[in-house]
Amino acid sequence: MARVWQLLLFVLIMAVLIGLPPLLGAGLQNAMTNMLIAALFAMAFNLLMGQGGMLSFGHAAFYGVGAFAVMHLMTAIDRGGLSFPTPLLPLAGAAAGLLVGLVTGWFATLRSGVYFALVTLALAEMLHSLAPHWEGLFGGEAGISSMRMPWGGFIFGQVIEIYYLTLIWVTLSIGLLYAYTRTPFGRLTLALRDNEERVRFMGYDAHATKMIVFAVSATFAGIAGGLLAVSNEQANYELFGTHVSAQVVLHTFVGGSTVFFGPAIGAAIFTLFAYLVSDVSRSWLLYQGVIFVLVMLYAPLGIGGVVMLHLRHWASIPWQRMVGPYAGATAATLLMAIGTVMVVEFLEALFSPHYVAQRRQAETSWPAFERFGASWEPFGILTWGPPLLLLIVGLLILLRLRHRIVALWDEVQETAETAARSGV
Amino acid sequence: MREDRVLDLRGIAKSFGSARILEGVELTVGRGERHAIIGPNGAGKSTLFNLISGQFSPTSGSILLNGREIAGRPPHQINRMGLSRSFQITNIYHRLSVFENLRLGVMARHGLRFSLFRRVAALRAVNEESEALLQRIRLEDRRDRPAGDLTYSEQRALEIGMTLATAPEVILLDEPTAGMSQEETHYVIELIREVTKGKTLLVVEHDMNVVFSLCDRISVLVYGELLATGTPEEIRANRAVQEAYLGEEVA
Repeated sequence: MARVWQLLLFVLIMAVLIGLPPLLGAGLQNAMTNMLIAALFAMAFNLLMGQGGMLSFGHAAFYGVGAFAVMHLMTAIDRGGLSFPTPLLPLAGAAAGLLVGLVTGWFATLRSGVYFALVTLALAEMLHSLAPHWEGLFGGEAGISSMRMPWGGFIFGQVIEIYYLTLIWVTLSIGLLYAYTRTPFGRLTLALRDNEERVRFMGYDAHATKMIVFAVSATFAGIAGGLLAVSNEQANYELFGTHVSAQVVLHTFVGGSTVFFGPAIGAAIFTLFAYLVSDVSRSWLLYQGVIFVLVMLYAPLGIGGVVMLHLRHWASIPWQRMVGPYAGATAATLLMAIGTVMVVEFLEALFSPHYVAQRRQAETSWPAFERFGASWEPFGILTWGPPLLLLIVGLLILLRLRHRIVALWDEVQETAETAARSGV
Repeated sequence: MREDRVLDLRGIAKSFGSARILEGVELTVGRGERHAIIGPNGAGKSTLFNLISGQFSPTSGSILLNGREIAGRPPHQINRMGLSRSFQITNIYHRLSVFENLRLGVMARHGLRFSLFRRVAALRAVNEESEALLQRIRLEDRRDRPAGDLTYSEQRALEIGMTLATAPEVILLDEPTAGMSQEETHYVIELIREVTKGKTLLVVEHDMNVVFSLCDRISVLVYGELLATGTPEEIRANRAVQEAYLGEEVA
């Protein structure tokens, strides 16, 4: 039964991914391409982090290397007349990721835990500071740009073409990553996460094993970077930046590293969020940070983890009694979100250079400012009262409902434990 | 008898900095023997196990497994040469299923160490062997539970199963009954007796009843030195052992 649902869900998601983009504008098509790329990048990262138990803070290295490899191949085709099918360009990213992953993985996996994380961080930083000075390989500060060549009747000039190319690559790659979990080596990867020492005492060479997990992860990160290069037709040293490495960690944790598709969900949502909100608000990074902190504090398993929890206990959740509190909590969260956004946007307006200039010109020392298509008094009760009220009301509702939701979940947990004890 | 040596420790010494843990340990274990190492806390029993299994290298001396030097080799190589150990503190894959815990060992023995292009579900021999092992340690009804959810004594049984999974010739068990009730101890000892048939067993154990009933030979380790080795009767009668360790308990 579960199988049927999974298959249905898969078909539905694929139908949306295939059918939706032609109905959208180029901007959203491009955003969806970026969502797919971010999803693959996060899935590749999570092979190392979620399955292998190795938290890398430098995955931008492989993402960037993949992008540059594709740019070089693209340039060679464009200039030298090298004949290479354009749709296969990301293969160069895969090869570069694999190669760099093997070499750097050999070093990084000599250490575990924090030391491993620091080695990977240093590695990406090294590339980040080296690339702007290396004209030949990374094109200096400006980076490299080139043109996609038409191939086999496809022009690859439209965003939608690139979208479908990306979709094929990402689907294939995630399919391979899924197949990986079904291989003996995939099982060994999980064992490595749980208990590296025991792996060693079972006759496995832990270092070689970790190195290969690392290299496979780097290969798929390279494909993701390569797809980005195909889409943007350019790459520069910023791809190696700390924010790129941090972003993938964030996507993965918000999506849920313990669930196979979790990182893809997190990456897709955050990329879409960035696309939609960054146009409207300058504070979008702050919102993203707040969401991340809230997820880590109150749902550390991430979105995927929360969904899985509900699916696992679906039958024993008292839905009739749960629906009310859940709806209430959603509404309260919405109230608090509106309150937060108002406060943040007001503060942003008050501290903006635009407002500072306005103050200089105005006769009154604190002129009204514009936000949400209305005018607000900086010290007005009508300015700060409503958002604060929303925040307080939302918080009070949440605090009350939390008790009820926790109590209901305790019941569910108890049922599950009784079932486990009776050995079902 | 000499050709039948499986494990041969010669002049083993181990120091950590200035602390001498082991000194001049000579120990021979014959094929098919059940050999116990006893001694007070801090005598160096666990260190000895760590040296034999490759966790540490000895400061000096040699360890021969079937005539081949293993001192200083990494654990995975020693395991592939036919020696497998359990741990005093349960050392399992907590988040993986009981079956998976065992299958990982069986996979290793089948040389599936870098197998990236086969489906694990399709490995018939591996899966059948794992199922059989699951039955031998009597955890069939816990097959798909995460190992971390098992009771303590079930985890200890799994620990032994994992040690057996690589089909070793020599088995090192580090305090297999530590922290168990009498009933559980009895259960685990029966299990050990059954599953180590035809294998060589080296066991560290505190429970004297267990040691005397299970083992053919006993070595007594006190302050890093081997005080005596012999049959249970010889050890019981040994005056030095009585004074140093056994005391009133056995006399």
